Amino acid sequence: MDAAGHGGEEGPVTVTRCHVTTGFFVLGRCGQAAAASCARCVRPVCAAHAGPGGLCPECAAAQGYGTHDPHEPSWTAGYRRHYYQSSSHAYADATWYASFDEYDRGAFDPGDDYAHGGDWGPDDDTGFVDS
Amino acid sequence: MFWRKQKAAIERFHPLHRALILDRACAVSLRRDDWEPVIQSLARHGAEVRRRRWRLPKRVPGVLVPMLRILAADMPPDGVLSVAADMRGSGVPEKKGPEQHVPTRPPISAMRQWYVVDPWLRMRAELRDGSVVELDVTDRIRNRRYRKNARGKVKLKSKSKTVQIVRVTRRLAKDAVVRPPAAPPPRWIRVRVKRGARMVIRANGKFPGPLEDQAMIDRILHVSTEPFRWTPPGTAARRAR
Ligand SMILES: [Zn+2]
Ligand SMILES: [Zn+2]
Repeated sequence: MDAAGHGGEEGPVTVTRCHVTTGFFVLGRCGQAAAASCARCVRPVCAAHAGPGGLCPECAAAQGYGTHDPHEPSWTAGYRRHYYQSSSHAYADATWYASFDEYDRGAFDPGDDYAHGGDWGPDDDTGFVDS
Repeated sequence: MFWRKQKAAIERFHPLHRALILDRACAVSLRRDDWEPVIQSLARHGAEVRRRRWRLPKRVPGVLVPMLRILAADMPPDGVLSVAADMRGSGVPEKKGPEQHVPTRPPISAMRQWYVVDPWLRMRAELRDGSVVELDVTDRIRNRRYRKNARGKVKLKSKSKTVQIVRVTRRLAKDAVVRPPAAPPPRWIRVRVKRGARMVIRANGKFPGPLEDQAMIDRILHVSTEPFRWTPPGTAARRAR
């Protein structure tokens, strides 16, 4: 579940990690030991994330295997892409969708610590300002 | 014994599910994974209970359950997710404001106006990047009752107009990596930012309603987007813990 918790594996064997995107606003990687590769996008998937037809949750949703019932745990992953699309549209912000899509397609490697952005200091306390 | 089977089914439901049926409200803080049995209990409602009186408020499956899933997806297992839901509707006396007389001109006369303020959902979640998100949804309904004189007949008329307000606040983790969005949010969303060791981003959205189900969820998510645009995917996600 947690993107931050799987960087420091020790021992001689390199384990292939599940590359499925987790989260909704705060994206991460599953990071469990992979058991297979997605039949469509070939990303490594763990046993829990391998869905119908050997598909990862994203590809399963894209192929119409997704559920429309939010009581189902798998609903969230399917709704996430709809959300990124509809919010990019509402914000007229194509980079917003692109940042999600790039993340999902693995342009960011699991385990990296990204530090770009952030162009002002943390102690720059000016109170609330309209943005 | 009427309704014995359905009564027994309700007895077997999760206590919070029961509260949502019988009180049409609940206020509770649970760790992430303790919400799953609540959702699974709610999932059985339609199959086991059909009596109108014990119907679930439609905003429970329509808005609450999806929002529980969405917030839980960003939480660590030990994160706390708090909910205060009041699904009793806008007809409850304590939500009604004072009546006022409104000046009128013929053919309209004797106009009274009052507002109903119905804050029906509040949620707070501790996320896995160390940020905390709080959201609330309020229906603000303006009611008017007046007489209208049309061709010698006096008719009693009433009108109501609903505005929905979604507020989302996100307090970032200490020293989180931030990237201010290049473009402002849509005009119906207002943003305020407080910079400090823990940056706070507040977004308020106001729109005509009442929206339900997916339309409502998407509005809540669109307001929530602004506080998350400051830490796009691949920037702050792994400052966690
Ligand atoms: Zn795939
Ligand atoms: Zn996995």
